[in-house]
Amino acid sequence: MDRNKLGKWLQSPGKMGQKYSLHALYFCTGCGIIEIPPTITARWDAERFGVIPVATPRQANLFLITGYVSVKTLRPIIRSYEQMPEPKFTVGFGSCPINGGMYWDSYNTIKHLDKYIPIDGWIAGCMPRPEAVFVAVTHLWTLIDKGMADGYKKYREDYHYYRENQEKILGKLEWPPLFSSKKM
Amino acid sequence: MNHTGTSLKENLLSYFDDILVEISDEHRLTISCKKDSVITILSSLNRNGYNHLALISCVDWIKDNELELVYIISAYTEDSEKGKMNILVKTKIAREKPELLTVMSIYENAEPYERELHELYGINFKGHPRLIPLLLEREYEIPPFRKDFDTRKYVQDVFDKIPFVEDKKGRK
Repeated sequence: MDRNKLGKWLQSPGKMGQKYSLHALYFCTGCGIIEIPPTITARWDAERFGVIPVATPRQANLFLITGYVSVKTLRPIIRSYEQMPEPKFTVGFGSCPINGGMYWDSYNTIKHLDKYIPIDGWIAGCMPRPEAVFVAVTHLWTLIDKGMADGYKKYREDYHYYRENQEKILGKLEWPPLFSSKKM
Repeated sequence: MNHTGTSLKENLLSYFDDILVEISDEHRLTISCKKDSVITILSSLNRNGYNHLALISCVDWIKDNELELVYIISAYTEDSEKGKMNILVKTKIAREKPELLTVMSIYENAEPYERELHELYGINFKGHPRLIPLLLEREYEIPPFRKDFDTRKYVQDVFDKIPFVEDKKGRK
């Protein structure tokens, strides 16, 4: 352990724990998943940064959405995001979740993912290199340090706005609201 | 052209009247027929050993006001010449209320292809046991793969109309 960080560890051990054990849930929607196996295995070894893949949303706190999101995949994305325990951080990987990317005029692709769930950071590029994941992770560390990675708090606060947007595109959702809705 | 293709062509022409058989490539045979004779042609091909339906494809000829269906058929066989053959059965149907008989009785794997064509082109396959959406979630006024479906306008009307959460908060 880095001795210089001892003060930080004693000050806020919870935050340091979140930072250095990012359990990542990879949502393999599109071509971005091709970059993930070299990232997590020996070639680039994501575990150097404390990023480790997990099997289920209930164990994860980092949500990587790799690739385009079709209307049908938005539903499982919302479900998995809502299952993740707080604190949770979301990173959109590739240009397609940002603004549609090459599917900007497609009839069945979600254009701006942050209209439906809160996103803490974007990795631009088509496709981003595995190194970009680590740049994003180190950037996420500073955001967590400063308390700026607060997408999950926003989701709790503005849940009725997000839910409204989700229902506009998916029709009626078959699960009850996660948080009790405030006055509209 | 190889012997298998020519003999198949002669064979087909002797059985069916109003079809057009064309040898378009070394191992490719194109059969153009009317929509009523699709079933008989496909079943006779199936009996001749061409037992694999690779794909059902569709082309939208908007100027002719027609939809063209293409059944791509090949064979699983020990005979290497026969195994290389690709047979394209083409038929044209009207664009308004397009209807066709299902070929599931001959090639059972046509089920997902016909469902796909149903939702992307709006073709109604009579006799199909479950014509329910396969890939799409939303209802479209015009089926989205037709030429007169304006994707850009659709995106502007649906996806761009949804506001950002920050904007919504700012306004209220």
